[in-house]
Order: sequence, then structure tokens, then C-alpha cells
Amino acid sequence: MSSKDSKAPKPEDTKEPKAIKKMLEEDDEFEDFPAEEWEEDETDVPGGGKPNLWEESWDDDDLSEDFSKQLKEELKKVDAQKGEMQR
Amino acid sequence: MESLIRAWRLAHGEENGKLLASTISLTNTDLEEFAYSTNSARVAEDIFRALEYENNSTRPKITNKTGLEAWAEVYVAFWKVAQALERYDEVEWGQVFAGMKDMTQYVRFTAVIRGFQNSGWEVWQLEILYTACKYLRYVAIRADEAKRAAGEDTWKQLEEAARVINRAFNVCLNDRAELAQSRKWGTYYIINILFKTYFKLNAITLSKNILKALVANTTEMPDLLSFRTSDVVTFKYYCGVIAFLDEDYFKAEEHLEMAYRLCHKDAQKNKELILTYLIPTKLLTRRQLPSAALLEPYPSLEAVFLPFTKCIKGGDLRGYDENLAKGEDWFVKKRIFLTLERGRDITLRNLFRKVYLSAGDSKTRIPVDHFRAAVSWKSGVDVETEEVECFLANMMYKGYIKGYISRERGMVVLSGTNAFPDTGV
Repeated sequence: MSSKDSKAPKPEDTKEPKAIKKMLEEDDEFEDFPAEEWEEDETDVPGGGKPNLWEESWDDDDLSEDFSKQLKEELKKVDAQKGEMQR
Repeated sequence: MESLIRAWRLAHGEENGKLLASTISLTNTDLEEFAYSTNSARVAEDIFRALEYENNSTRPKITNKTGLEAWAEVYVAFWKVAQALERYDEVEWGQVFAGMKDMTQYVRFTAVIRGFQNSGWEVWQLEILYTACKYLRYVAIRADEAKRAAGEDTWKQLEEAARVINRAFNVCLNDRAELAQSRKWGTYYIINILFKTYFKLNAITLSKNILKALVANTTEMPDLLSFRTSDVVTFKYYCGVIAFLDEDYFKAEEHLEMAYRLCHKDAQKNKELILTYLIPTKLLTRRQLPSAALLEPYPSLEAVFLPFTKCIKGGDLRGYDENLAKGEDWFVKKRIFLTLERGRDITLRNLFRKVYLSAGDSKTRIPVDHFRAAVSWKSGVDVETEEVECFLANMMYKGYIKGYISRERGMVVLSGTNAFPDTGV
């Protein structure tokens, strides 16, 4: 790692400042914003007409006959198991 | 060198903080010219003379001799940084870091000694402290990475950087100058850099110490909302994540919702980070799920969370476990695994609710076997009656189900009203 391994390059070999910038910005933390100050209209704030972004977990409209039917099938399996155990 | 030092003078003339900060930026386009403009034997003298020349061409002078010497230290240290970055094919990050550390200390010093200067160190100059701290952190990360690549397991340089930035934090926090010219206005920006540093170091406790120091100083501190929006959103994000890791989910929700609400709409990555914690939080606090519309702009969040919402709604226990296992690495890395694991309860509650609904209207007595069949079906594992009773008792204890188990009859007796609180039945 000593400096004698590296030769002093000619100016045209040196890195673009951009390359340094890229090296410095690989980071998984919160990023710098493109601006320092902004108004409410530059946010995603849910205003008029925006769909509700959160839904309740029980709002499940596919609770159909399928579930009841399948549950009955599953019950038969449980009953059969019980029967076997009692035998 | 001349262009850099001239910018230093112009910045003072215009009170232009961004221009001043650009003179020590690692992305400054004059960096290469600066690196080659002098040598280590002459650098101290060259820089002092250049500063003196520019200082003397200004009426009134920017600073006195003490101030000039402090600024010379800053740029000598910065020259070492520029040289380490530009001189060799392979950047020597250890050297870059050493230079950055010195420079940040000297920048802080120019602020501390303002009492000795002709014209004081003013609030517009905070930008240079920001830039120094920001790049110090980046460079420390690269320097540690280079050491680790060489086989040494270390975070030493980032830890050192944290200590230097912490001193900058105290310089801001403890300033007693009148508010209009107070360094207190730099507090939140510096805190945010400290948070980023501590998170990288996995030292969340240190972040909490910062918050404690802040609380102790609130009386003289301007209201958070009078700071720059970018500072506020970043601060709220980290407060939210800290509360989240503390399992204080209601507090986390408050912080993260504010961060999300104020976040700039084009800051896609930041919104994604906020939602990464807000989604598991709201699952626990409100038992709410993100809608497809919320997830749609973030493909990586959609890929992770949409399957979860489907499983939760459908009471699909096996699917839930599979998704948890599939994303485990990422969830652990983001520290949301344990929280999502608790979401399994919501899935189970929804499954039990479906059993209740499919039994028909207002039926309050349902055989335990029905629940057992449903769990066996949806988890793909045959469960014992005792196990299901245990699940049910747990749900009742947590307030997800109102009722009791009649073991003699093998029945679950549910409350006639509001048997599954807050779910509309």
C-alpha cells in the first residue's frame, strides 16, 4: 500500500471529478434531497381525489362460497383423522 | 490554487455559503489543478500567501491574522486530500481520510474562533461545515472498506469520523449567539449526518444519546418546522426508524408519517426507505395494509409487500411463512424481520374470522375442529386440537377475538357482538 507502488500519472490519466463523485455516493442511507426547501404542492400528500393508500386487512371481498366449501372438505379430513385415532 | 482561494474571497463578499462550501468539495472541478499547484514543502506558505493576498484586496478585510491562519490550516489539509485523490492511479483512502479529518476539525475551528475575528463567523458559513462533515463520512466509509478488502476487520475510521462530526454537532447545539446568527441552525443537518454514521456503525444507542442531548436543549432551540424541509424530513425518518427498532410503534408511526407527508415527491429512494418501515409499522399499529396504488411506484417494495398483503387477507399462513423465509435476508438487513413475523398474527386472525363468517350469520358457537381444519388447510401442516386451542387463547388474550373456549364441548363461544373487534363483525 505504499506510494512507491503507484506512479504519478500524467494529467490526462487522472480521474474525472465525476468518477470520484460516483465512488462517494454508493450508500444505502437516506439520500440528500434535490432541494433544501419545498412547498406542500411538491409532496405526495394525499389530497383531493387520491385513492386511499392504506386498506384494512379484513376488507377481503373474495370471502366467497369457495372458502366455505373448501373448509367443509377440510373438516371431513379432520373427522376422518379423528375416526382413525379412535379405532 | 488561485481560483479556489478567489472563490473563498468571493464567497465572503457575497455571503454565499454554497460557494464557500464548494471550495472544499471533493467534486470541485479545480481539485486536480489545486493538487498539482504546489508541493508539500511549499504548500503552507503558498496557501497562506494566497489567502493573505485575497484578504488584503477586500475592504473591510475578511478576517484578521488568527482567522487567516485558521483558514490556511483548512486549505492545507484540503490540499492533502486533493493530492491523495488525484495523484495516484489507486486512491489511497486512508490518506484521503486523514486529510479530511484534519480539515473538518479546522473548519470547525474557524467557526469556534469567530470571537477573535473582525467580522464574525455567520450563519451562512454553516454550509462549509456541512460539506466537510458530509464528505468526511463518505471518505471514512471508503477508507474502512479499503482496509477490510485488505483483510482487516475494521470500522475504526468511520468511528473516528463519528467523533469529529459529534464535535461539530456540539458546536452547533451549544451556540449561545442570538438566534439570527446562531450556529444552532446547523444542528439538524449535522444530527442527520451523525444518524447516518451511527446507523452504518450499528450503534443505535448513540443516536438515542443525540436525541437526549437535543431534548435537554429544546428551550433555546428553534421549532423543528422552522428548519429546512430537507433537514426535517431526514430527521423524522431517522427518529421513526429509531422508535421502530425500540418497538415503540405508535411513535414510529407518527415520525414516519410526517416524514412521508413532507417528503419531496421526486425523492423516490427516500420515499421507498420511509415506506420500508412505515408499512410494517402500520400493520402492527392499525392492522392496515398498503394498497396496490401505494406500492405501485416502488417495484421493489411491491415485489416484497404485495404477496404479504394477499396472504394476510386470505388467511394464507403457509404463503405468509414462505414469503417471510424468501425475503429473510433483506428483512433482516433492514431490521424489519421480527416486526413482520408478528404480522402472522393478523393472518391467523383473518383466517379465524373467515371461519366465523362462513359458519353463517350470528352463529356464536363454533366447534374448535372448524378452526383446526382451517389452520391445517392454510398452513399445510396437520395441527393438533390443543395447538389450535392455544392459538385461539392467544388471540383472545391479545384482544383480536372476544370469547372463550368450552373444552368439555369442544366449542369456541364467541361474543354476540363485536366478536372480532374493529373488523366490522
